[in-house]
Amino acid sequence: MARRYDSRTTIFSPEGRLYQIEYAMEAISHAGTVLGVLAKDGVVLAAEKKVTGKLLDLSSTKEGGYGGSGEKIYLLNDNVIGGVAGLTADANSLVNYARTAAQRHLLTYNEDIPVELLAQRLCNLKQGYTQFGGLRPFGVSLLYAGYDPHYQFQLYHSDPSGNYSGWKATCIGANNGTAQSLLKQEYKDDIEVKDAIGLVLRTMSKTMDSTTLGSEKLEFAVLTLDETTKRPKAKIYKPSEIDALLASEGLMKKDEDTEMKAA
Amino acid sequence: MSIMELNGGSVIAMVGKDCVAIASDLRLGNQALGLSSNFQRIFPVTDRIYVGLPGLGTDVHTLWEKFRFRVNMYTIKEEREIEPETFAHLVSSTLYEHRFGPYFIEPVIAGLAKTPSGGVKPFIAATDLIGCLNFAKDFVVAGTASSKLFGMAEGLWEPDLEPEDLFETISQALMNAVDRDAYSGWGCVVHVITKDKIVTRTLKGRMD
Amino acid sequence: METSFAITGKGYVLVAADTTAARSIVKMKTDEDKIKILSPHLLMAYSGEPGDTIQFSEYVERNIRLYQIRNTLTLGPSAAASWIRRSLADSIRSRRPYAVNLLVGGYDTSSHTPELYWIDYLGTLTKIPFGAHGYGSYFALSLLDRYHDPEASLEEGIATLKRCLDEVAKRLVVSPGKYLVKVVDKDGVREIEI
Repeated sequence: MARRYDSRTTIFSPEGRLYQIEYAMEAISHAGTVLGVLAKDGVVLAAEKKVTGKLLDLSSTKEGGYGGSGEKIYLLNDNVIGGVAGLTADANSLVNYARTAAQRHLLTYNEDIPVELLAQRLCNLKQGYTQFGGLRPFGVSLLYAGYDPHYQFQLYHSDPSGNYSGWKATCIGANNGTAQSLLKQEYKDDIEVKDAIGLVLRTMSKTMDSTTLGSEKLEFAVLTLDETTKRPKAKIYKPSEIDALLASEGLMKKDEDTEMKAA
Repeated sequence: MSIMELNGGSVIAMVGKDCVAIASDLRLGNQALGLSSNFQRIFPVTDRIYVGLPGLGTDVHTLWEKFRFRVNMYTIKEEREIEPETFAHLVSSTLYEHRFGPYFIEPVIAGLAKTPSGGVKPFIAATDLIGCLNFAKDFVVAGTASSKLFGMAEGLWEPDLEPEDLFETISQALMNAVDRDAYSGWGCVVHVITKDKIVTRTLKGRMD
Repeated sequence: METSFAITGKGYVLVAADTTAARSIVKMKTDEDKIKILSPHLLMAYSGEPGDTIQFSEYVERNIRLYQIRNTLTLGPSAAASWIRRSLADSIRSRRPYAVNLLVGGYDTSSHTPELYWIDYLGTLTKIPFGAHGYGSYFALSLLDRYHDPEASLEEGIATLKRCLDEVAKRLVVSPGKYLVKVVDKDGVREIEI
């Protein structure tokens, strides 16, 4: 039945469904997990990388730039970090659009774009691809972790349909159901960033496909407020910083040989 | 009266030993009527590059907002800060886009470029209102007091000035030049850029 | 002919504009309100080409309100002034620019400070402690250089403003008869008698 109504975005099925959008969400459920937790003094994002391997050239992540390999977590503006799950090429296009939208707002109003407004801009774009033009929707879900003076720290999630909602803690991509229920049990309303970091890393270790956590498979970012300047500070961790963080949380993968010897 | 002389204002930049300095006056007027004595026309592009925008007041803001947009996009995509020479070309091409309806600004750029060894190389440049670049080795001037600034700079500048001496030199050049120009003055601001820090000083001048 | 002034004081911005609507030698009206209330803590006095003034100021008023309705956030004085400036900067290079000059005064409720912006039809923007548009500025600005006190109370501010209005009445050939004065502070906008 679905087959007759699923090849064009711009038509409904008799049951009132838009199949192309549902198929887009299906694509995302196979992508690497992205997890976000809102704390009272910051927001934490973590993501599982799917594109890994010894032959991958990661030299740019070690010295320059923002640290992340640029597969899952991106800096959208001084006050917003985005985490993407889904088709990487579509995600690149949306991230570029978000960055341009944030700069356009700065051009007109001379202040950083409010986080919800940025989410709305992207959602309006995505909704257009479900109603006009006959083009397929973007196969990407995004998490927006940001700060603005109006509502302080915020976390939003948007999907291919162009819908978005605000969250205290949420997860997109593979195993998001498991992660979501884990977060529901452990999340506390007045959690602080340092505890949120621990919560995120523990939840990631339970939901990721690989057995142990390490910087080759993990991207990590935190958004806080700088003490002195009172401006948002976005930090996307470099691989070495992720390893150091995992070691301090006690989640580093252990050397099996050493363990055997100890036993 | 030319449109470049409606609001008034002047900017100067000089090269020193491993440092650069850029300075401007603070006056915004409407021909002879003075309106504001703290009109900013020098803006930070990165930690190491400053751009001065003398000319029509509205275009000062418009151009600054445009450069900020483009430099932010550059930084976020390249994941590194823009180099002074690259920024100068960005200024030039932005202005040439409006070749037949130009912005009434003659930008002045001052910055420190990175050398492969990890050191810094002083860089200054200026363009005309349609983007013709001038890479000077000593100093660049622009604005309503530009002819006076040329004279002062030519007389006072010497190579390899240390940051403190460069500050004195550029300050004297600017202060005395704007005192001879009716449309510039009402206070001055000087930025001295070195490898480790930027020192900004506001100078008290004749308020006439 | 059209004159407007504004001064900042301790926790307030006073905005005054003349109330004369004239064409050539005829005064059509002497109770014209030339100060728009853009939001609960933002005022804008306009002057310039008749027609353009109302069209542009209402365009600004409606757009500021639309932003607020759409985004449940009020635009602070600085962001509103930037938006207004951008509109005029785009207008000046269009087919027929708006010939409107503005004084935008507001109270920033997050930083608790009064802010005043001088904007002209070219899109020139400057933040000032006091300002004026029109021929009246030639008389008032020097008086304000001497007598303005950024920490003055409302009564003292009104007295300073009165000096300006009296000077213009005395020395400007076709001086406006009456002025409308509005104040914006932490409690919002209200009209005051002077």
